[in-house]
Amino acid sequence: MATETPFKGLIPDVDYQKEMERWANVFKLLSEPEPRIGQTPRTEVWRKNKSVLWYYPAKQKKYEIPLFFVYSLFNKPYILDIDPKSSVIKKLTDMGYDVYLLDWGTPGYEDKKIGLDTYIEKYLKTAVKRAIRHSDVEEITLVGYCLGGTIASIYASIAEEPIKNLIVATVPIDFSTIVGPEKWAEGFKNGDFTIEHLLDVYGVVPPKYVEMMFRAVGSPIYFTNYTTLLNRAHDQRYVDKWRRMNKWTLDQVPFTGEAYKQLANDLMRDNKLVKGEFLVGNKKVDLSNIEANLFVISGSRDNLVLENQSKPIMDLVSSKDKTYLCVESGHVGLALSGMFAGIVDQWASSRSKQLSK
Amino acid sequence: MSGKKPFDPYESIHKLSLLWEKQLNDFFYLLTDNKDVVKMSNIGTEFNSRYLDTFKKNQEALANVLNLPTKNDVSNVANLTIQAEEKIEALEEQIWNLQDSMKTQSKEIESVVEISKEIIKLTKQLKTELVKSKKEQVESKKLHAELQEMKFELSKLSNFKEEFEALKTLINKDKDAERELHGSGISK
Repeated sequence: MATETPFKGLIPDVDYQKEMERWANVFKLLSEPEPRIGQTPRTEVWRKNKSVLWYYPAKQKKYEIPLFFVYSLFNKPYILDIDPKSSVIKKLTDMGYDVYLLDWGTPGYEDKKIGLDTYIEKYLKTAVKRAIRHSDVEEITLVGYCLGGTIASIYASIAEEPIKNLIVATVPIDFSTIVGPEKWAEGFKNGDFTIEHLLDVYGVVPPKYVEMMFRAVGSPIYFTNYTTLLNRAHDQRYVDKWRRMNKWTLDQVPFTGEAYKQLANDLMRDNKLVKGEFLVGNKKVDLSNIEANLFVISGSRDNLVLENQSKPIMDLVSSKDKTYLCVESGHVGLALSGMFAGIVDQWASSRSKQLSK
Repeated sequence: MSGKKPFDPYESIHKLSLLWEKQLNDFFYLLTDNKDVVKMSNIGTEFNSRYLDTFKKNQEALANVLNLPTKNDVSNVANLTIQAEEKIEALEEQIWNLQDSMKTQSKEIESVVEISKEIIKLTKQLKTELVKSKKEQVESKKLHAELQEMKFELSKLSNFKEEFEALKTLINKDKDAERELHGSGISK
């Protein structure tokens, strides 16, 4: 006998199974410890101050020339090895590449005098030398992501070490266009807004300020990540991915005062890299010195580093073999989704000396 | 089950939140993206910096009186460690050079040893051949002496033959003389 409830029509139909999963996941997210990141097996090759050079051996080595990753100074590089299923580094080691990653580490107050030039001359250069010696090869492929790409390009133009290939993704080279609120960018360029004194006092830019800076450029008020999570919380895979991404986004690195000054004044304000006026030690950085095979990747949905900030490098270098690719992705999505590994492999496989079986 | 879509307000909440976020950000930019705010922020930053600077200097002075280490002192010590690290690094690189030259030297030595081995082998072979030829020489000398002896014997034998021939001639002569003598006696 069917019973007719008096509130029929008022109580909505609810998919109880889905709701149970949704709220169970939300509860787990609030109570469980942070997700594990960086699970690809690795060994430490060299360490200096807070920087570490990591070595990820190939599962079955197919290519002689190893890949050397240089990540941005703003964030932690574990985005490249965030999840075993979508890890860029794991995918590349599975494809047969030996991978090296230079983790800049978390600078402290004592590192306030470390500028971009010091990072390049005393850290990156030494790390590349170590990687070449460790892998016992004659050449190396440099892979730079975001600001790491800028640093890799600067280094490649003054390097004495044998760099066969240079791959840069979402790389800011030409700072004539600055992303962000127009008047702020203008004020920054003409000197109406300076933070030099603040940098001298703080020594290093605190991570919270770095986070606020990125928020100010993109979206100062940001809460839709939580509503997206709530909307898709029934999907365990999405929740896992969200947690990892959220951890990485909030895990900012302090930025050394000296490096920030060089970035803000020499690169952003004076655009010295494009003009060929940027100095590393006593060497003038001239991108036309780059003769390595060049591969530049941009994201069409990248709102942090625009295509026209990356593309000029194509005309500035002397490389004979140069490729430009714009993919359907955002600034972080390229690394987060792991698609970066496939793109790198497609280009680098024919330029990395395949080992005979 | 009916074809009715189950109650799911989260999609709508999300869409609404996207709209609100965009509107709030646009409003925020509208309020802040102007020259006055930029200049005001610059003044505020400068004021904050000066305040912090003074505060820090006072703190340093006080810490000095109280004989306490400050962040700057710790930073100086840390820099000494980094300097030491760099020196070790430079030494390590020099060791690399030494290792490399050692490697090339040992490779050269290896090739010299290899050649020497071959020379020794060849010398040994020559030595064996020399002994062999010496032996052969002795044997041939022996043979030569024997031959000489045989020659001497043979020459001796030829003398004997000559003597024997002379004897034979003499005997024959004697026989003839005897026969002549015997013949004359009969006739008498």
